[in-house]
Amino acid sequence: MRLEIESIDIEDIRAGSKTYAQDHVLYINPKEVEELILKDNRIGSVDINLVYPGDRVRIVNLMDAVQPRCKIDQFEADFPGFVGRLRITGSGRTRSLRGVAVLVSNPDTKRKYSALLDMCGLAAELSRYGKMRNISIAPYIADGTEERDFEDAVKIAGLKTAVYLAAAAEGHPVDEVEVYDLDIPKLEGKPDVPRVAYYYQLYSPQHDHRGIPDPCFYGTDVRDLMPTIIHPNEVLDGGVVGHHTIRSLDTYTIQNHGVIKELYRRHGRDLIFAGVVCGVANIDPVTRKRKALMAANLIKNVLGADGVIVTKIHGGMPHVDIALVGEECEKLGVKTAVFTQPLISVGTLADTLLFNNEALDLIITVGATFERVKLPLEADRILGGTAETKVFLADPIEQHAGDPIIDMEEMLIAGVHDHLGGANIIVKEY
Amino acid sequence: MTEKKLKVVHYLNQFFGQVGTEDKADTGFMVKEGPVGPGLALHKELGDRAEVVATLICGDNYFSKNPEQAGEEGFTLIESYQPDLFFAGPAFEAGRYGISCGTICKTVGEKLGIPAITGMYEENAGMEMYRKDAFICKTGRSARDMNKSLQEMTRLAFRLLSGQKGGNLVSRENLPKPEEYAYFPRSILRNEYTEKTAAERSVDKLLSKIKGESFESEVVLPKFEKVEPPAPIRDPSTCEIALVSDGGLVPRGNPDGMSGRGNLRWTTYEIDDFLPEDFKSSDYEIAHTGYFPVEVLGNPSRLVPVDVMRDLVKEGKIGKLHPTFFSTSGNATVSRRCAEMGDEIGAEIKIRGIDAVIFTST
Repeated sequence: MRLEIESIDIEDIRAGSKTYAQDHVLYINPKEVEELILKDNRIGSVDINLVYPGDRVRIVNLMDAVQPRCKIDQFEADFPGFVGRLRITGSGRTRSLRGVAVLVSNPDTKRKYSALLDMCGLAAELSRYGKMRNISIAPYIADGTEERDFEDAVKIAGLKTAVYLAAAAEGHPVDEVEVYDLDIPKLEGKPDVPRVAYYYQLYSPQHDHRGIPDPCFYGTDVRDLMPTIIHPNEVLDGGVVGHHTIRSLDTYTIQNHGVIKELYRRHGRDLIFAGVVCGVANIDPVTRKRKALMAANLIKNVLGADGVIVTKIHGGMPHVDIALVGEECEKLGVKTAVFTQPLISVGTLADTLLFNNEALDLIITVGATFERVKLPLEADRILGGTAETKVFLADPIEQHAGDPIIDMEEMLIAGVHDHLGGANIIVKEY
Repeated sequence: MTEKKLKVVHYLNQFFGQVGTEDKADTGFMVKEGPVGPGLALHKELGDRAEVVATLICGDNYFSKNPEQAGEEGFTLIESYQPDLFFAGPAFEAGRYGISCGTICKTVGEKLGIPAITGMYEENAGMEMYRKDAFICKTGRSARDMNKSLQEMTRLAFRLLSGQKGGNLVSRENLPKPEEYAYFPRSILRNEYTEKTAAERSVDKLLSKIKGESFESEVVLPKFEKVEPPAPIRDPSTCEIALVSDGGLVPRGNPDGMSGRGNLRWTTYEIDDFLPEDFKSSDYEIAHTGYFPVEVLGNPSRLVPVDVMRDLVKEGKIGKLHPTFFSTSGNATVSRRCAEMGDEIGAEIKIRGIDAVIFTST
């Protein structure tokens, strides 16, 4: 499978009467974006704003961030199952706009958690999106639409906007072409070069809003997914998208998957990238054991890996699942590197482990995402909600987007942490 | 224009404070103007920026008998100098001195919000007890390491005073790196920016692991000691059984100076005198601040089951109740000291030829 991502660097975005790209400037016709989004009759209206670094703007109720991308050589092939028709992603040519993101808010959300971003001040400084030019969209619910159905509509509106913007940049010179070419059936071994696989924990059921899982994989949810081999290009090219909340993870992060890109970068030189097994976290121990055994077996006996990187989704419980996958791999002789997210800010790093097995002796701390920072209100405009929009805090207090100062868990500031290893963050004892 | 010099108060024990050796360990607090003993070297180290305006001195025993109260007493003497900076020790490997340095740094740091810095050897019990509450620089075992230790303590103090924002921390707090400033980590976990992404680090380290090279896990696994349970006793009717408790049961007045929190001592009481059948509640107190003691004070046998043991002896079910009760207080005591006390009590029990022990906790 060969994927070429053709990147165009966008240095500015401007509203105009036509959507196109010229000289690294993306001109956007907001009217057209609105029409595109309102084609979905679950959405009653939509706010669209262009936001820039330094703007005194706070964006709330964020549920996703998406990099503008579209398929160049395939028709109706973008984000299959969400936007395009069902097909397997990951081959051919994809256009990608760098320096710009679609920030998707759901102002009608009833969820406890939703993310936030300031385009100025500390949050902007910490967030990758705070340094980019972004299109903020905030769709409002149409009468008679069910809450969960509307959430899917908002999600898709973000993905559609991303496709629309990338498609409009046709004709602009390409700044960089990245080639992701991995022919797994014909992978050749090299002496002394180990085969390394990636175990991708996609999802955990513990946060299902109203007991319904968020679709995140070719248009569907993956609650009952058995460990499954996928091609890494499927992940990079829109087969997998974010959940309906940003907790250190969104579609943009998946499109730029840290571990997959790193394994590609080292492929053929330091290692052979043996492929990806994806799986999920589980509620009951029997299912957990069954799936861990299956995952380890695929990694060892189907992909033939000597080593595996194991990453996890948000939450405490999923640590147990990845630990079990890791243990079963080690039992089969596959060396593991296991990602964890320390959930506490007091104690030693050893105190943060939710498992204890001597075989799991290589642990990577991807970030303590519950760490808090205080954000003073520097914005004079709030998008995606109002000054009264509730902002989540684990303490029994209520805080609002317009408060003079709010306490934020870093996982809820869009673009700070990255569960998939793309951020330059480590957890240390002080 | 020269800046006004920062005011420093320095804490020393009776020995370093030049009052006397162990025979003066019961001496209470005293204050001397200016630097004393190691304070002279500290004074020099501070240079033009700061000066030692006063030295607070206290005997090791006086302080460690009731550290919390002593900390308060010392604090009132320090407060009047309105210091900008506070130093204690360094205590090296001296245990009681470590506790007093830790306590007083904690009190000063919390109440005045100024940098309060001490130094200890890693095995000093005061290190584990106070590293969360105070900046404790790493030192050698003894005063031979005095100058170097004072240099480290001063360097850390000036770094803390600089108000420098931690650009390497996601939270932007002013926390110097423990390895860079040679102090014991304070049990705080923070997100730090690194050169390499988690993805890059994971691949690098995994490749090393696969190749059998050395690699560094970002979390070092905790090591749990495995304790094999001993074989059960065969016939209790021929056994002598002792009672051990960490519930802090002591005679009224706490004559052995057991601490209610972070206690480091254990002691023994003769059961016939200490826990007679016609006991009086008013004869006891509980040196343990970790539980509500009313039920135990109502009848100490609720903690130390002497009444039931006496019955069982009468019924012939147990051979003998050992006449001595082993008492300690286990509440936020560092685990290293707990293990030591266990070894000490265990050795004594072995010498006495006791067959079995019943432990009761709260």
